[in-house]
Amino acid sequence: MILEVNQIDGVAQATILPQEASLDNAELFKEEMISLVANGARLILLSFENVNYIDSSFLGSLVVALKYAMPRNVDIYLVSLKPDVKSLLTLIRMDKVFKIYTDYDQAMQASK
Amino acid sequence: MDRDLDSVKVVFKCQREEIPGTVGICLNQIKEKTEGRSIDEAVLSRIKWAIAELLTNAVKHSGEPESALTIKIGADELVLEKEDSGKPLVLIALDKTQIAWPLENPLSVDFAIYHNGMDSLYVRTHQSGKAIFFVEELPEVLMPLLLSDTSEHFGLLIMTKAADEFTYEYDPLKKINRFMCLFNLKTN
Repeated sequence: MILEVNQIDGVAQATILPQEASLDNAELFKEEMISLVANGARLILLSFENVNYIDSSFLGSLVVALKYAMPRNVDIYLVSLKPDVKSLLTLIRMDKVFKIYTDYDQAMQASK
Repeated sequence: MDRDLDSVKVVFKCQREEIPGTVGICLNQIKEKTEGRSIDEAVLSRIKWAIAELLTNAVKHSGEPESALTIKIGADELVLEKEDSGKPLVLIALDKTQIAWPLENPLSVDFAIYHNGMDSLYVRTHQSGKAIFFVEELPEVLMPLLLSDTSEHFGLLIMTKAADEFTYEYDPLKKINRFMCLFNLKTN
């Protein structure tokens, strides 16, 4: 299991559990994200609070999840990114594709 | 290129679960070799991302049980060099041209290989057979085409944008692939 999920009223707070978001767990992450969308979440708040390290494979899975979510009117927000992880997303401009918030509370406020 | 490069060779198993640990080993080596020097944290982050992508590339594509990453540290620059004896690189350009090493007609030509609406990734072939990757940044658009592509190109994009120079060459005599990321350590 990659995600720890707490879902209330269609809002899934999903915390990535591993510290290393990499090729080793990218496929499982993708499957769990797609399941969340398929099972009725309308908003996924994806927390990176544990993630110290992320690579292109995991980012690729994140994009696949977004591609699956968008036509189903499901939003994916990213929260609690460590500076190094956020910098990498910014480097390849994924910050222009995903909405990024400081924490769950800020993301919830923005979703209202 | 610096004359006196301090060199460390890290041999790693091409297994996905080995990547994070190997990145850590490489970073520790770099910190040890550059102790007392003030290397910008942002540069260290860029080095870390490039190492991770070089290792990922080896795991995905080398087809070998082991690869080697050599870290060369000079006064002004740091070079990551990953070698493996797997299949030579093959890229498909956006216009569907196949670019396969060793190049049949090594000419200096630019090929666009990825475009996401904001960044265009190019590879420039060279008479020597070397490939130089570079990015052209475009004005921002609201919804980039990032969503239309796969992680294969994210890896190349990360290495190209993270490093000050990112190149690939194939040594047909030794049958070795060599990816190289160069970082300027000098702060302006």
